[in-house]
Amino acid sequence: MRVRIAPPWWFAVPAILVYAVVVLYPSIAGAGSAFTDWSGVGNAKTFVGIDNFKQLVHDSQALGALRNTLLLTVAIVVVQNGIGLLLALGVHTSIKSRMALRLVFFAPVVVSPVMVSFLWKFVYNPAPDAGLNAALGAVGLGGLRQDWLGNPSLALWSVAFTVIWQCAGYSMVIFLAGLEGVPAELHESAMVDGAGTVARFRHITWPLLAPAVTINVMLSTVGGLTLFTQIIAMTNGGPGYATDTLSTVLYKQAFVFGKFGYSTAVALVLAIFVAAVSFVQIGYLRSRETAA
Amino acid sequence: MALDQSVSRRRLLQLMGGAAAVGTLAACGGGSGSSSSGGTLRVIGVGDQEAGLRKVLDAYKSSHSGFDFNLSFAPADQVQTALRTQLGGGNAPDVHVVYPGNGSAMSMAQLAKAGLLADLSDQSWTQKIPAGFKGAFQSDGKTYIYSPGSSMLGAIYNKKAFATAGVEPPTTWSELLSVCEKLKAKGIVPIALGAQTPWITQLIPYALVPGTVYAKTPDFDDKMLAGQASFADSGWVDAMNKYLELQKKGFFNDNPNGTTYEQATSMVATGKAAMAVQVSAVLSAFRAASQTPDDLSMFPFPATDVAADNWIPAGVVVGIAVSAKSKKSDQAKSFLDYCGQQENLNTWAEAVSCVPLYGDAKVDPALNLFLPALKANKAVPFMDQRWPNAEVQPTHFAVVQELLGGKTTVDAALKKMDEAYRKKA
Repeated sequence: MRVRIAPPWWFAVPAILVYAVVVLYPSIAGAGSAFTDWSGVGNAKTFVGIDNFKQLVHDSQALGALRNTLLLTVAIVVVQNGIGLLLALGVHTSIKSRMALRLVFFAPVVVSPVMVSFLWKFVYNPAPDAGLNAALGAVGLGGLRQDWLGNPSLALWSVAFTVIWQCAGYSMVIFLAGLEGVPAELHESAMVDGAGTVARFRHITWPLLAPAVTINVMLSTVGGLTLFTQIIAMTNGGPGYATDTLSTVLYKQAFVFGKFGYSTAVALVLAIFVAAVSFVQIGYLRSRETAA
Repeated sequence: MALDQSVSRRRLLQLMGGAAAVGTLAACGGGSGSSSSGGTLRVIGVGDQEAGLRKVLDAYKSSHSGFDFNLSFAPADQVQTALRTQLGGGNAPDVHVVYPGNGSAMSMAQLAKAGLLADLSDQSWTQKIPAGFKGAFQSDGKTYIYSPGSSMLGAIYNKKAFATAGVEPPTTWSELLSVCEKLKAKGIVPIALGAQTPWITQLIPYALVPGTVYAKTPDFDDKMLAGQASFADSGWVDAMNKYLELQKKGFFNDNPNGTTYEQATSMVATGKAAMAVQVSAVLSAFRAASQTPDDLSMFPFPATDVAADNWIPAGVVVGIAVSAKSKKSDQAKSFLDYCGQQENLNTWAEAVSCVPLYGDAKVDPALNLFLPALKANKAVPFMDQRWPNAEVQPTHFAVVQELLGGKTTVDAALKKMDEAYRKKA
């Protein structure tokens, strides 16, 4: 019998201290700015109560950004995880090239999001003889050529596709880990009972994948709600306001408009929103796991 | 084993000693900073000023022993983020880029108001600032920024492309349209527009409104501030409609919203496009991108058919200031004083193709067509320099992209700018 000895609690003291100094203190101290009209530089600062929050409710730009954020999040959660699951099922086989395939699908994950964004800016070059448009022309689909990032109706989805392209491999790895945990005996006995591929997926694989689904949905939701890097690097929120998200709005308020106080209020609301969505989600998904 | 440990301990002590020594040196550097000689000045500029700023810094260094500088650059889009963070965090560079006038979060007026800039009023060159430019340099009567002069805004054009189509620089709006028509007929993109890069979106309106707004209402800015005028009810409507007319007639490259500044620059430099509406400060960048730099020149972009109404935009170019928190402010200020001497001012002005703030130095010949309007007092500062807060300009960028993308109307766009204008700073 093995006895697990819990390490003394004070082992964690250095980590807690660093965390408190680097994360907790600045967060709490910064939150105070949400109730002031601080510009971000200098000392001039007046307490304005909840004015910033009142302003937020009537801010058409922030509301448009909220809409974009939710659309992006839904697209990312559904499509990224769907593709991730398909990729995982695809490479969870005994074919010889499975390791190479896993590597290929996972590769974009390890590249910096800024690099990926610049790479895709080349792909999305609006000239008919460049990037994706050139490829479409070459295969006889010239009619589908688009101004991928410059068309206000399309830009949001172009950015979403880039994020999904980059992160699908990440979902795949988590699903793969889940698939490795599905006992082969269950599949074997189901096959003996005459269950087909679809039936086995529905009744064995899918329920046992529940924990992987929980993790993937959670991570991609939080990722979608706080999406920033790819947007700033690819479209800077444009054209117009077409790809602004809550994160780019709070960034612009702080650093472009010089309204640090208001920006902090947006940040605070975003943080509470993300936390709330996560709690609701995790509660629902966990209950689904136990039911399965 | 024991030996290893002792060695490693000794090595550790060496390292610690080294670290301590470095610490001492650093402390010395910081301590001696308050005296005006020696030490390295930390300077952060913006890409547009590199050619001039570096030249003058080098010249100053070679004539002042013990002076050294550490110069880095931020791209225009990131200046606000990078520098404001440092300013807010209290580790501002000794000398840094600042935009003249008001209207952006990194502008002289906004930073001076926050107490972040050192007062330069006791330097003799500040007495020579022309009256019309004082608003760009001064806040509450004190001078806070140095700038080598004013940049012209007009069309940078490729002479070879114009020659191919057999056209000359136009002087009226109708002529401009027919020039574009002829260029287009020759398969040359008449006007390259890289509107995906936000600051590019504003250049065509800036080129047009001196003619459509200020020629008729020279005190338009005062009226705006007093609440007696609005964008939506002014010549701005005409300017925006003309902007869209150029697009509707197919005079821009395809998909300007998906095209960047760099792509547009290379189109003109290589002759694929004939012109781009730009500030003279980037003429050197266009020349650098071209194999035949002499082919590039400039002309004022006409806004109306009444030749006398074609005023020009001439903005004070981006400048530098001394941080109020700098520990080496004496040294930094003496560098700015040096910049203010006529020959150094000329050096910088020439490097960035601008008209020197004072004196009558040789001007880049590409600007010759602008000089008559300048002499006749038909020049207007860049519009944002008198906008009251940092939100109008980004709103302008966004609505132009929406207009080009067919997502809004001129009327709605200008109303949005009016809304941003009325917000308090």
